[in-house]
Amino acid sequence: MEALSDNVLMMKVKEGDLDKMSLLFERYKRPLFGFFYGLCKRQELSEDLVQNTFLRILKYRHLFRGEPAGRTGGGDFRAWMFHIARNVNNDHHRKNKIKATEELENWQERIGHNDNRATEMQQMEEHQLLSMAMERLPDDKREVLLLSKFQEKKYSEIGEVLGCTEGAVKVKVFRALQELKVIYKQLEKSH
Amino acid sequence: MEKKQQQELIAKYNERLADPAEIRLIEQLIESGEVDLTELRELSGLDEQIQKIESPVPSIQLDDQFYAALAKEKRALKTKTSLTIPDWNFLFPRLAMAVVLLLIGFSAGFFIQSPSENKEVSQLTEEVSELKELMMLTMLEKESATQRLKAVSLTSEMEQVSEKVTNALFTTLNNDENVNVRLAALEALKSYSKDSAVRTKLIASIAAQDSPLVQVAMAELMVAIQEKKSVEALKQLLQSEKTPKEVKTKISESIKVLI
Repeated sequence: MEALSDNVLMMKVKEGDLDKMSLLFERYKRPLFGFFYGLCKRQELSEDLVQNTFLRILKYRHLFRGEPAGRTGGGDFRAWMFHIARNVNNDHHRKNKIKATEELENWQERIGHNDNRATEMQQMEEHQLLSMAMERLPDDKREVLLLSKFQEKKYSEIGEVLGCTEGAVKVKVFRALQELKVIYKQLEKSH
Repeated sequence: MEKKQQQELIAKYNERLADPAEIRLIEQLIESGEVDLTELRELSGLDEQIQKIESPVPSIQLDDQFYAALAKEKRALKTKTSLTIPDWNFLFPRLAMAVVLLLIGFSAGFFIQSPSENKEVSQLTEEVSELKELMMLTMLEKESATQRLKAVSLTSEMEQVSEKVTNALFTTLNNDENVNVRLAALEALKSYSKDSAVRTKLIASIAAQDSPLVQVAMAELMVAIQEKKSVEALKQLLQSEKTPKEVKTKISESIKVLI
């Protein structure tokens, strides 16, 4: 229902009711930021990329087609948005040729706040290791896992973003998780 | 593949015992939808962990930037709407109609109105010049010299004059008691001196002149129009005793130029 109203909102934006864009922004700024942050691990850059994505959505609002035929339950806006987000990210890296860099300070800061409880510490360590493992994944594999996370495992929707079938998306996720598991184990051993 | 074999394969994978060929088999089963990713215990756990990783929260700056950009876009949209020129599809038929109507107007004006209007205008012009002639002839008979001067000057506004007018001017030139009126008549006749009848009458009127001013003016006019036939008439003036000395000098100079 929420996804359906995404489409309704975006159709209103397309018709010139730009105020509806702010509702979509509030709904998706965090998932989009998470997606970009997962890709580049840089706060400021991720914010810029979120901003650019929404600017592009505004600029190309006339190209939004609403619900495609044969789809139920919506999800079209989100797929369209992530499609634009991927292009924004690719354009940025093509322009700047910057590889995502590891910013350990962020992690150290975050661990610093929660070091009084052993379980949280342990969980943080696990998340830290997993995040590090994610960063060591090749870009395309990391991207498919992030899309899976932020598109709530809607594989057919991810297929729309990546331009492949639902089955192909599942195989991509499987391979990415396989490789992630290997990296994770290696990091675990070295710790 | 049977369901049982699939389950065995998954169990083997979950025990980390699957070889590369078996992993490829699993991939095929995943792609065809026969095996769900959640059945692969370890990977599914890892996937769940990924879901739980919390990303940092975007700063308030992102909100500020976005809402500023949105406001800008809204303003741009507003200006665009208010300044929008109607699209070409809307404008074209109207422009075409306007051009066609304009052309029809022009051609109608040209073809329908011009002949009759021209006729009317020329008729009116004719009537006006007839009226002017009539007025001039009437004014020439007035007692006041000023009125007669005005009458003579009216001829300068006429492009073409009838014989009636030139005759009236000659009557004035030969008989008017006022020298200024006579001089004005002579000046007016100068404009029609291309007409041979006018020239002949001008020569004839030389002898009729007794005013030295008019005599000199006549002699100058003869030089100006290069009328050689006037020499005889001018010589008669030279011989006349009534002609003042200064006038005679002027006339003899004129005769020299003419000969």
